[in-house]
Amino acid sequence: MTFSLLHATDFADRLLYKIVPPLKAGMIVLADRYAYTAFARDATRGVDRQWVRELYSFAVRPDLSLYFRVPIDVSVDRLMARRMKLKFYEAGMDLGWSTNPVESFRMFQGKVLDEYDQLVQEFGLEVVDAKGSITEQQRYVRTLVAQHVKTSQVEMTDDEPV
Amino acid sequence: MTSPSDPDGGLNGEGQAGRYYGRGIPYLPIEGYPGKLIAIEGTDGVGRTIQIQLLREWLEVKGYGVVETGWTRSPLMQPTIEIAKSSNTLNKLTFVLLYATDFADRLEKEIIPALKAGFVVLSDRYIFTALARAGIRGVDRQWLRTVYGFAIAPHLVFYLNVDVKTLIGRVLESRGMDFWESGMDLKLGDDIYDSFRAYQLKLLREYQSMADEFHFRVVDARRPIDRIQDELRRQVAAFLEPTEKPIEPAMTR
Repeated sequence: MTFSLLHATDFADRLLYKIVPPLKAGMIVLADRYAYTAFARDATRGVDRQWVRELYSFAVRPDLSLYFRVPIDVSVDRLMARRMKLKFYEAGMDLGWSTNPVESFRMFQGKVLDEYDQLVQEFGLEVVDAKGSITEQQRYVRTLVAQHVKTSQVEMTDDEPV
Repeated sequence: MTSPSDPDGGLNGEGQAGRYYGRGIPYLPIEGYPGKLIAIEGTDGVGRTIQIQLLREWLEVKGYGVVETGWTRSPLMQPTIEIAKSSNTLNKLTFVLLYATDFADRLEKEIIPALKAGFVVLSDRYIFTALARAGIRGVDRQWLRTVYGFAIAPHLVFYLNVDVKTLIGRVLESRGMDFWESGMDLKLGDDIYDSFRAYQLKLLREYQSMADEFHFRVVDARRPIDRIQDELRRQVAAFLEPTEKPIEPAMTR
């Protein structure tokens, strides 16, 4: 619970200082992770799903949300390849499922990914296949963003289909 | 969002004493825990702390194990809250969430384990302080109740009620008025006296409005310390040992 509430506090602070002002000024805000991270992670830690959603009901709903999806094996391989030391909480070590960080990470993040899959439906996240190369992913992301930005502009001028 | 009629969402009745108000903490089932949770509520300077100290001594002499918990006293959050209060970066939302985090920490680490072990938990302030402070700062009241849906409904809530005039006298006689207790962030008055008065009036009204919703047992706190303590002991005794003593007919709600 404290993990969930601390992150919500941090999020509220960033929302009010870093996100809302530029939005009011008409700028585009790119958020690296958003409330969906909390929904997936907190639910995996056993916090009530509905409660977390209500907790974050002060958040601004993004115009576009991208979900970079990878299978858990790819995720683990990438982190191992870079010899990254897995962080305690990222590996869900606080849950005591395994004393082996890699094993714990696999179990914890595997469940987090299952939660994300539910969120895709619920919140209409755009799924980006993150198994592919960075270039491929970036191309796809640009089409999505361009479509989205163009859609709003087009609607104001004429009925040209997207 | 949940509506007040949603049994899973909002906070409600005394029938829930010892259970979660709302959605609770799924990984911590608390049904059937033998301990009792008693909250002493009331605004700043009303005399909660001395009453709790006296209640504790009395309960311990009677053989109860007693645990005390108090607002913003969690080891996890207290330093953070102090730092945040001393800077000007807090807004009403982060204020609410910091307090909620502190409360969650104490709930998980102090209150629930103590209830499980059969202690009487005396809580110096409870979530009602947070609901009142945030409510008058314009935070959505329904949202607040949903967020605090992980709180446990106390078995007894004593609300130490006082009028603002008495309160001002007491606070000035003791430690004086401070920035936050005077609600100076709300810019209610030009000087600290005006602000304290206006802020505490609003707070008292907000507490008053929660009295029915949360089954406060309202205690007149304008009286001398001993008299208040007598009343608290009578009610606590009637609750903890209903078979040994006749139930007080004058028991207030």
